[in-house]
Amino acid sequence: MVKRRKRGRKKTRRKVAKRRPNRSLRVRIVMLLAILLAGYVVYLDFQVRHQFTGKRWSLPARVYARPLELYTGLELSAEQFVTELKALHYRPVVSPRESGQFSRNKNEFHLISRPFDFWDGQQAPGNVRVSFSAGKLTRLTDGRSGQALSLLRLDPVLVGSFYPAHNEDRVLLQLDEVPVSLTDALIVIEDRDFFSHHGVSPAAIARALFANIRAAGVVQGGSTLTQQLVKNFFLSSERSLTRKLNEAIMSLLLEWHYNKDEILEAYLNEVYLGQDGNRAIHGFGLASYFYFERPLAELSIDQTALLVAMVKGPSYYNPRRHPERATARRNLVLDVMTELELITVEESARARARKLGVSDYQRKAINTFPAFLDLVRRQLQRDYRDEDITSEGLSIFTTLNPQVQWQLERVLGARLDGLERERKLKADTLQGAAVVTSVQGGEVLALAGGRDPAFAGFNRALDAHRQVGSLLKPAVYLTALEQPQRYTLATLLDDSPLTFTARNGVVWKPGNYDRKNHGDVPLYQALAHSYNVSTARLGLDMGIEPIIKTLRRLGVEQQLNPYPSLVLGAVEMSPLQVTHMYQTFAGGGFRTPLRAINAVLAADKTPLQRYQLSVQSAIEAAPNYLINTAMRFAVREGTGRSIYQSLPASQDVAGKTGTTDDLRDSWFAGFTGDHLGVVWIGRDDNKSTGLTGSSGALRVWRDLFTQFNNPGWVQPAVEGVEYHWIDPKSGSLADAGCQDAVQLPFITGSGPVKQAPCVKEKKALPDPVDWFKELFQ
Amino acid sequence: MKLASLFRVLVAVQLPLSIHGCSTAPSQQAPSPVVEQGQPSINYQAPGYQPAPGAATVVTASTQAPAVVALLQQAEQQANAGDLESAAASLERAIRIDPRNAVLWHHLATVRLSQGEPMQAEQLASKSNSLAPGNYAQQSRNWLLIAQARRQLNNASGAAAAERRARELGAR
Repeated sequence: MVKRRKRGRKKTRRKVAKRRPNRSLRVRIVMLLAILLAGYVVYLDFQVRHQFTGKRWSLPARVYARPLELYTGLELSAEQFVTELKALHYRPVVSPRESGQFSRNKNEFHLISRPFDFWDGQQAPGNVRVSFSAGKLTRLTDGRSGQALSLLRLDPVLVGSFYPAHNEDRVLLQLDEVPVSLTDALIVIEDRDFFSHHGVSPAAIARALFANIRAAGVVQGGSTLTQQLVKNFFLSSERSLTRKLNEAIMSLLLEWHYNKDEILEAYLNEVYLGQDGNRAIHGFGLASYFYFERPLAELSIDQTALLVAMVKGPSYYNPRRHPERATARRNLVLDVMTELELITVEESARARARKLGVSDYQRKAINTFPAFLDLVRRQLQRDYRDEDITSEGLSIFTTLNPQVQWQLERVLGARLDGLERERKLKADTLQGAAVVTSVQGGEVLALAGGRDPAFAGFNRALDAHRQVGSLLKPAVYLTALEQPQRYTLATLLDDSPLTFTARNGVVWKPGNYDRKNHGDVPLYQALAHSYNVSTARLGLDMGIEPIIKTLRRLGVEQQLNPYPSLVLGAVEMSPLQVTHMYQTFAGGGFRTPLRAINAVLAADKTPLQRYQLSVQSAIEAAPNYLINTAMRFAVREGTGRSIYQSLPASQDVAGKTGTTDDLRDSWFAGFTGDHLGVVWIGRDDNKSTGLTGSSGALRVWRDLFTQFNNPGWVQPAVEGVEYHWIDPKSGSLADAGCQDAVQLPFITGSGPVKQAPCVKEKKALPDPVDWFKELFQ
Repeated sequence: MKLASLFRVLVAVQLPLSIHGCSTAPSQQAPSPVVEQGQPSINYQAPGYQPAPGAATVVTASTQAPAVVALLQQAEQQANAGDLESAAASLERAIRIDPRNAVLWHHLATVRLSQGEPMQAEQLASKSNSLAPGNYAQQSRNWLLIAQARRQLNNASGAAAAERRARELGAR
């Protein structure tokens, strides 16, 4: 069909050719061609306008750590401060003059911070002096006047980005954000007639043609910036005459519709300047970070010149791979700039003398903390579509504290290595996960999804659901302590052997980890030593339903089977879910949703969404205080006591170990007044680790928490609680003179009445002092 | 709650802060070192035993931190300019610096109430109460706020009960 028609057409043409063409036909053909061309131009015009006006670069979301707030009293050492400045790519100099520079003299710093757009507006740059002593920020003053300052918020560390599928990346700039030196240099190098031509420059083409003929090859391009932009925007990179023609027409059209500034701005953001693995580096904004690790505004003249030099061929003039070529071309750019008096001869000489100053190329994983970013992404996905996350240029402000995250990564890796050596296990047998949060705010400060912090795969902190074992016991004991007429911390529990036959005839015989029974033990000790038998009996006494209700109030959402074994932790949870549960204990009975994100800004820096701090009263303050007291005993004299092998005795901690059957899982959940940490150690194949909660996870927790300085009490105190001296053997009232007597808190009015034999004189005990009244009267 | 009354409270911030500071100055140091086992003392009998109930008032040094005061002032300005969510954000920054400061939680509750979030306001006020044991003046302010929140929720009897509570505490 197609063939025949072709043949037919040829025939006709031949016929036409034979005839002498008459004048009117020629006119008609010309007119037809003109109409076709006009149509084509209209089509191109539509293309140009449609794409340019509607041009929305897909911008990846930027994910930021919490900004470091500097203020007197902040717990931060000089060394930690330096690490933070390094992560922010602040540059050490002799005397800081610009944003992003700092100087250091022992423990004293002088720095000029960068401006930054936060949720609540722009943070102005600060010129400050900061002093540190003994792990604390001791002085914050104005860098010029020397006056004391109350607070300075630094710009936050960029910890990652969420890229669209095609991995195109850029840092979008507006024209007024681009240094004039750069645009000037770019124009004199790439397109001198930019401000006078209409899209194409015949003079430039002629110059290029001449140069190319002389060199017998392509040495110079005659393309204007407009043409280069059109090429990048609309066309493929093939070299053909048609493409050249299209390029020229579209350039003219672009110039017709848009002014020079708009075209220049688009060019600055679009130009291709390098490749980072499968990530394409587009625009000067991103190139500045990619080659120099700092914003464009902070570049020196030689660095600006280098970026301009690379436009001609980012791969050929790659300063990391071909430093000589890049230097020669940079110096050429500097020469032209001098010639046209954009810079002085002295400036040029100084700039030429400088090294390229390109940062070391680290093919680092684009996202520094993949496990934490995974959590951020999942929280975002509740509110945003995937394509918005990767292409709308969102700024995401997270709760990540890089200091805590680095410490966590370090101690987890080192401790797992150590445990494997100690137990003669093959390397990488053990796995671990951990979550660290702030106690009152429920902010996730750090998260480890495995022992390799750079691994972006299986995130154990979120997705490893493991039996929690004794970590569940505090919920059982709390259920009891909420009934003060029945149970107190001094109530004696029966730890003698137990056999329970369920209605269906199944026999349950829980045993203690030490394979012993301990007779009558006071309730607080049963939890502190994690006795299974007395806990099981307590659970059976109360019934499973009330315990499930308690777990629900603590924020446990998964399926819970009402079997007696639940009280000993026969339920599977992820480290993050365990953290949520313990957050309520740590928060004084208030449940706080765990947050990894504080706020989200749109690409134009307008506020999009805040993730608010919110609380929900879940447990009365007094029983919560009692359960925390029992967990404080657990780390002072119970299963968690090895904590104080390296923590100072003055450090108040509440916590609980967890160990599952055959030592498959090793858990520890513990908190101070400031931080809550949950650590899990296990194996991906779910085989035995040979570790208990205290010989495994607790040691990671301890390694981490010795790095913190947490002076606060776990739960300072509450109303409705009174203290009595108790004889732990009998659970009866004692006095300070009795051997082994302990002071225990009771919900007011629930203390024992019976006196222990050790109380010699049967004198009436004085009322417990109401300390609060006294202090505030 | 109207903004004017909201920021009568915020302006008064410096006052409760300084009161706090004075009354707790002696207990600012870290928990005292552990006394040997078997030697009972009121503060510590042995590792792990309850700090004296008086430790309830241990407040970290940051209570009077200029940083916290500065953020409160900023929150005040933002709220006066009608930008309540930024005010809340500033208060959250302050809470990050000084998490157990009952005054900050109270102000956050106030802002939430002004934003028409009475349920969260009541929760935040309760949180403030839990951080101010024995501080009846602060508790009274919180109960007044809870009363307002309950009224917004059309819970008249609950509001009346909260007001009674506020009066009782105010009289102590």
